[in-house]
Amino acid sequence: MKYAPPFQRTNGFLPVLIVFVILLLAPFVVTETYSRHTLIIVFIYAVLASNWDLSLGYGGIVNFAHLGFFAIGLYTYAIFAKVIGIDPWLALLLTPLFAVGFAILLAIPILRLEGIYVILVTIAATQLLQQIVVSQSTYTGGTSGMVLLPRLTIGDYNLSSDNRIGYYYVALGLMAASTFFLYKLERSAVGRAIKALRDNKYYAISRGVSEARTRLLTLSLSAIFPALAGGFYGSYLRVASPDVFGLGFLTTALSVLLLGGVATIWGSLIAAFVVVGLSQLLADYGAWRNISIALVIIGVVVVYPGGLYAALQEIWSGFDRAKTNLIAAFRRKAGAADRARAMGIRDQLIETSHGKVSVCDTRSGEQTIIFIHGNSSCKEAFRHQFHALRDQYRLVAFDLPGHGVSPNADPEKDYNLAAYAQIVRDLVDRLKLGTPVVFGWSLGGYVALEYAAAGNPISALAICGTSPVRTYPDDIPKGYIASPHMELAGKRFHSPFEKGQYAKHTIGLPKQSEPILWQAVWRTDGQAREQAFAKLKTTNWQRQMRVIREGSVPFTMINGSKDPFINHTYCASPEFNTAASGKPITLDGVGHATFLEGPEGFNAVFRRFIQQQ
Amino acid sequence: MTKPLLELRGLSGGYPPVSVFRDVSLSVKQGEHVGLFGPNGHGKTTLLKTIAGVLDPWDGGIYFEGKRLNAVGKMQARVSHNLNYDLFRKRRINALDVVDAGLIYVMQGNLLFPEMTVEEVLDIAPRAARNRPGVAQMRRQIHDLFPRLRERWTSKIRYLSGGERQMVSIAVGLLAMPRLLMLDEPTLGLSPKLRIELSEAVRNIRETGVPLIIVDQNVEFLTSLVDRLILFDHGTITREIPAENMPKHAELMDMMFGGAH
Amino acid sequence: MGFEAFTFILMSGILLGGLYALMATGLAVVWTTLGVFNFAHGAFVTLGAYMAWQVSQSVAGGFGFLIAVATSVTVMFCLGFVLHFALIKPFERNQNVVLLAVVSTLAAASIIENAVLLNWGPRDKQIAPPITSKIDFFGASINTFDFVILGIALFALFGLALFLRRTTVGRTLRAAAQNREAAELMGLNVPKLFAITLGLSAATAALAGVFVGSLRFINPTFGADPLMKSLIVVILGGVARFTSPIYAAFVVGIVESFSAYFLGLYWSPALLFAMMIAVLLIKPEGLFGHRSKTL
Repeated sequence: MKYAPPFQRTNGFLPVLIVFVILLLAPFVVTETYSRHTLIIVFIYAVLASNWDLSLGYGGIVNFAHLGFFAIGLYTYAIFAKVIGIDPWLALLLTPLFAVGFAILLAIPILRLEGIYVILVTIAATQLLQQIVVSQSTYTGGTSGMVLLPRLTIGDYNLSSDNRIGYYYVALGLMAASTFFLYKLERSAVGRAIKALRDNKYYAISRGVSEARTRLLTLSLSAIFPALAGGFYGSYLRVASPDVFGLGFLTTALSVLLLGGVATIWGSLIAAFVVVGLSQLLADYGAWRNISIALVIIGVVVVYPGGLYAALQEIWSGFDRAKTNLIAAFRRKAGAADRARAMGIRDQLIETSHGKVSVCDTRSGEQTIIFIHGNSSCKEAFRHQFHALRDQYRLVAFDLPGHGVSPNADPEKDYNLAAYAQIVRDLVDRLKLGTPVVFGWSLGGYVALEYAAAGNPISALAICGTSPVRTYPDDIPKGYIASPHMELAGKRFHSPFEKGQYAKHTIGLPKQSEPILWQAVWRTDGQAREQAFAKLKTTNWQRQMRVIREGSVPFTMINGSKDPFINHTYCASPEFNTAASGKPITLDGVGHATFLEGPEGFNAVFRRFIQQQ
Repeated sequence: MTKPLLELRGLSGGYPPVSVFRDVSLSVKQGEHVGLFGPNGHGKTTLLKTIAGVLDPWDGGIYFEGKRLNAVGKMQARVSHNLNYDLFRKRRINALDVVDAGLIYVMQGNLLFPEMTVEEVLDIAPRAARNRPGVAQMRRQIHDLFPRLRERWTSKIRYLSGGERQMVSIAVGLLAMPRLLMLDEPTLGLSPKLRIELSEAVRNIRETGVPLIIVDQNVEFLTSLVDRLILFDHGTITREIPAENMPKHAELMDMMFGGAH
Repeated sequence: MGFEAFTFILMSGILLGGLYALMATGLAVVWTTLGVFNFAHGAFVTLGAYMAWQVSQSVAGGFGFLIAVATSVTVMFCLGFVLHFALIKPFERNQNVVLLAVVSTLAAASIIENAVLLNWGPRDKQIAPPITSKIDFFGASINTFDFVILGIALFALFGLALFLRRTTVGRTLRAAAQNREAAELMGLNVPKLFAITLGLSAATAALAGVFVGSLRFINPTFGADPLMKSLIVVILGGVARFTSPIYAAFVVGIVESFSAYFLGLYWSPALLFAMMIAVLLIKPEGLFGHRSKTL
């Protein structure tokens, strides 16, 4: 199941809208012809490169005949509009037809080939195309090309009058349409098939993706807009020459694509501005211009293969981390009183081997209970338990690194189950907690299991909102009900809408009644979410299952009947329910956070479970 | 008390970002033969490849005859996933240094150089030893150790059977004049007849006094050859068993999997 | 067509074939060893030719030609050696090394072309051939120098083959080509061997460039044609053996000179590209060999 929110609900919506509006209004500020010309060329390269990315980046088909689509568009326009003499607009609309025809012809050899051979056959195809164009000098003008192609007009209005304002808007419209098309395509079933075929060809085929059909579609769809851009280019510059087959065009388009980053639409759009801007700046230096473009290509490929878009994302991620860390530091001081009221006790920062964590410890009582919260939450989730159980037991709850008011930690080392379990162990040692009862919620449930599996002192183990996993990742779709919100759990960047959705489904109570928990979702380090999920595959799941199966540690599952994620049938399977633990306990009428939504029922059940031991 | 020949101190490694083995400490003395046993996919080969210098160790030290082979300090985690780290990060261990020191690793299921003849391969093999004394004698010994290879002297490697390839691999390792030889699953996928022939050869190598580290899935083969058996599970050494109480296959399985297999 | 014309066309085809063999072998050696296609190969040919032209301008005569060849080949060997570390080694562990190398070598080709343009200008140049006599060959009058070129080209290829087969360094080079990891474990310095390979390839390209430069006019962009021809030859012949591209080179040379005579200048490259696509479709491993790449 793929989570794909509508565009207006994603983080990208606002920047794209702003840039688009700026570009719409730009002609009123940028009035001289040369700057508008530069922008028109930028739009053309953006269309060329972003569509190239469809086959090269998303499809994994290294198609070096992509400029052939552009050339076909150009020559189709030239021949139809000038030699045959039909309406220029109609000629423009005819261009994709021929480019797609060429794409289909090209797909035939490509279907049989892999890797470098695709590059070679597409280069050969482009050369062949060039030879054909050059040899048919009666129609194409041969090596000298065709000049004075008809312009585009609306009625009697010439699009290049008023400093080319008409051409500017047509080019902008072309780029916007192409981007919209690519965005929609990437998220459609076809787009997913294209990516699946790139990532794991044989698996994709075995799941019913037709290789021939998908590759044919990839090439054909990537030919449409370049052909239109080619036709537009012809109508704009009024020249069609075999130069479009040359190395110069290819390297410029390639540098736009690579500098922007492979497999991202937006990267090509950004890089088009940079590369075309740079090459227009250096236009007077001839050979030096080409050398500097080539150096940009080598520099990007050798040093930073991710490209501009990845760099932007990294900067954004660093900014996001700094922001969440700052929020945590601020709340540690400013919100201390609120939290103390909620928990009945002040929290303190304790140093562990995986960074500092914020801990609430009631300090008195024989038996200790450790509470571990779930993904994108905080220790205040257990506030009802802290009030109800503190007379009988010593209660300890803490914020995982990157959550709540604990500071952020090293994403590579500290955001995974083993590190979280080690933190629990460190707390047990530091605070002298003896052999505690460990309760874990959601992701915390896996931390609790991992803690027990690593052979640490424990007297009982309870998990909530967690499905035990026998083999990863096979059991994840069995143990959980597939829903778009599951995808959010491991996503680095949440848009505000997504944060709201996630909070609503995991907390189950409105923002007014649980402000601290809702805030925690906003505060959580995106890397903590991403890394904790990415590293699940390195967990020793068999060891966890051994703990449950052998029954050496008393174990139970407490789930809410309305939990939107848990598959209750899976949890009830006898493998996880030994004689010692019995059936999983299901609390009626509550969701994912049972202890928060129905504290009385939960506390009674939980107290009984502990007292049985 | 003799100084250990090979010593690993708290070695960790893997394929970034996946950690495969953690905190492995082990020492092999001069003239000792050590067996490494553990389930597939638990990091034995990764450990040997790291010692051989093919992969970078993450943490810990590899000492050979008291000399440190890898760089001091921990490997830095990648900060950015888009930067080309192969360009900026220096290798933390150099395979050439390891080979120069005389620590030779024989890969498992090795295809070696498919289009070269046995003769050509054995011709370039001593380059690893930079023509140390004794190579000429070792060359003669190879003929006695692997009589089968004499018949295939001018065949290309890709026309050899799996066992013969394994023999060439081991011969290449021997021609490097090893001070310690690491054999990775020498009997993998061999027919019983070839397995007997190969274990005979390994036994003969053992007689010459070259210290060995052998990884194998065949318990009987392994226990008959080694002085010490090391059990490797989930990327760590879980137990060491001395020669006196070498376990049988079933006992070993019980130790490793607790009857859950 | 008379017998004379036939002989003449055949001989010019064979001469072309010799040059193509020299260029294509360099490309094929890099492809089989480093596992990448070097799109800067054509630029190497150009640069080699220009360097030889520069030297032959200052030292005249047959002796000058020899010095020009020696200088050009040596400098290009060194350049190839160095470029390996700049263009291919940085991402040798990357799984997309084939695509990345295509991109980086294309960019390098653009840099070399433009550097040649900056240094020597756009005007056509020709290296003065040291021998200008003609001999009568089965009725056709053919330049003696053509035979010399053919002889040197074949001799160079034979020498390269001998180096790879018989010398220990050549054998270690083949070992590194066939199994990188095993070669490393054997104590071979693989990056250095790879750099030597690219150097050797650049040296053969330079030699071919000198010959082309003394037969035709050269300009900064003329390298595109040798590159395309080498690609066609390597695809047509495959790389199963050292000799596969050499056979293919003569086939391409002869087909080219006959098709230029019968079909005209424009259609002759089109025919070759069509042949290349057809071979890729029907027998991607090449006409002369099995599905394998070796050295």
